[in-house]
Amino acid sequence: MNITRYGYVLIGVALVILITISSGFFIVNETQQVIITQFGRPVGEAITEPGVHFKLPFIQRALFFDKRFLEWDGDRNQIPTKDKRFIWVDTFARWRITDPLRFYERLRDEQLAQSRLDDIIDGATRDAVANHDLLQLVRSSNREVVVDSSVEEKDIASVLAEIETGRTAIMEKIKEVAQARTADLGLEVIDVRFKRIDYNNDVRMNVYQRMIAERNRIAQRFRSEGLGDSSRIRGEKERDLQVITSEAYRTSQELIGKADAEATSIYARAYGRDPSFYEFLKTMESYPDAFDKDSWLILSTDGEFFRYLTGTNP
Amino acid sequence: MDKEFIDLKQFQMKGALSPRTIAAAVVAFLVLVLLFTSWYQVGAESVGVVLRLGKYHRTTLPGLHFKIPFGIEVVSIVATERQLKVEFGFRTISAGVRTVYSEGRFEDESLMLTGDLNVADVQWTVQYRISDPYKYLFRIRNVEDTFLDMSQAVMREIVGDRTVNEVLTIGRTELAIAAQTGLQVLADKYETGIRVDQVILQDITPPDPVKPSFNEVNQAQQDKERMINLARAEYNLAVPAARGEADQMIRQAEGYSIDRVNRALGEAARFTSLLEEYRRAPAVTRRRIYIETMSQLLPKIGRKLIIDKDSQNIIPLLQLGKEGGSQ
Repeated sequence: MNITRYGYVLIGVALVILITISSGFFIVNETQQVIITQFGRPVGEAITEPGVHFKLPFIQRALFFDKRFLEWDGDRNQIPTKDKRFIWVDTFARWRITDPLRFYERLRDEQLAQSRLDDIIDGATRDAVANHDLLQLVRSSNREVVVDSSVEEKDIASVLAEIETGRTAIMEKIKEVAQARTADLGLEVIDVRFKRIDYNNDVRMNVYQRMIAERNRIAQRFRSEGLGDSSRIRGEKERDLQVITSEAYRTSQELIGKADAEATSIYARAYGRDPSFYEFLKTMESYPDAFDKDSWLILSTDGEFFRYLTGTNP
Repeated sequence: MDKEFIDLKQFQMKGALSPRTIAAAVVAFLVLVLLFTSWYQVGAESVGVVLRLGKYHRTTLPGLHFKIPFGIEVVSIVATERQLKVEFGFRTISAGVRTVYSEGRFEDESLMLTGDLNVADVQWTVQYRISDPYKYLFRIRNVEDTFLDMSQAVMREIVGDRTVNEVLTIGRTELAIAAQTGLQVLADKYETGIRVDQVILQDITPPDPVKPSFNEVNQAQQDKERMINLARAEYNLAVPAARGEADQMIRQAEGYSIDRVNRALGEAARFTSLLEEYRRAPAVTRRRIYIETMSQLLPKIGRKLIIDKDSQNIIPLLQLGKEGGSQ
């Protein structure tokens, strides 16, 4: 029985020692940073190195904070731009606890920090949006537009309007404002970005109408171009037909004329050598065709052909 | 006696919980914990990141490894070789030979403003890999959510700098490359440890209410082509035919020419040779021709009257209307 009680006491003492030891050290991993508080008040510097660290057991407490980049995601807000367009803006930000001591003093924990960030970043966003036209918020740069020449010409804007500030610059501005307002809170806003910018429903319907009208104009242009070009081709057809037929007529007439002239000259050259013989020959040749069986012909025996009718030697 | 019996039993049960047994049980338990926490396996596509007492110690390659047990060394397995994928604007329900996509519209993700303040519907995929497991594990909280936000922000920023026509048609490739570059820059800036392999654009279309008028443009383009082709066809039908006819006209004229000239040449030659013969014996030739002609002519004439040169006054008496023969 004595052994048992002694054993129990041993175990008890061992346990107490263990608990004390375990309260005297703590492990910081790669994602954490720690401040030590003594009776509720912070002591010493923040501990950011990962590994095993020591503290006074029980008297001192180790408070753990995240060392990583943390996320902040705002609700989307409907904000009017400078040119009076109402848009939904959804932002997100990255931030970090840079000074856990200060963070603990000012904000205590992350929940409060998120709430303060809501106010600060939403406010900065609202200001930025209200001070700029929608175009500045959507566009980032003045890049050259690649134009599809078959579609875009006179009908729709194929160039992007020049911008002065632009999305990137505005996001930078919001970040700077947020950083200034969180300077003494022990945290740093690393980056603020627009996740989404969207039209509200009314504006979106108007935009759709505009897009439809633009497209209809283009379609109309194509159709009228088609009509114009096809009419032109038909006109060319008519013209070419005229040209072809008239030129052919002219050429053939020239040929005929030339041939007639040449024939005439050939005849003239030949017949001209003895016009009276020609006349005789031609007349003789034409006699058979001049009469037919119904023609009357009165001849005299005095003629050359009939003189032998009266005798052999008239 | 009974009391002693009971005491004995109680004593015996207490004996069952003797310090030695407890110690033995604890030791056995510790041995088990030792076994389970001192070795780990890293798959072929992964690496193991080992923290010793909270501090990064080493990265281990695929295979079986040992670590200091009892939570002194803790391992996180990260699949660095596997290509991961996130989808925006659509969802794949099941991939396979025929991939099935969700019917739902994810317009929150897909509708975005273009640089000319129009609206486009953009669906895309980001394929990525974990290239730096240390950063992936320890630099950012909620890396995956952050990456989703970043992807959306980058894509909208880039689309917001382009006209709707660029985004829908000719600027697609450039858009994908710009998105990939931009996302990688941001991923590095945020120290995510992610390497963006590729940004793949899926469907990029105009928003539903506007689609019909966009199709109308295509239709009109085709109509224009059709009208022009029709006119051209008419041209190609008429003009070559006309050319053929023109050629024919000219050929005919040429034929006439040759005929005329040859005829003339022929007749001229005939006359010329006849003339030569005539020159040799003019009177005889003349008479011959005359007689030949007459003998050819007279049979043809139906009514002939040969009057002796000495008779007179007979002609007035003739009734030339009657049938008469030769006398």
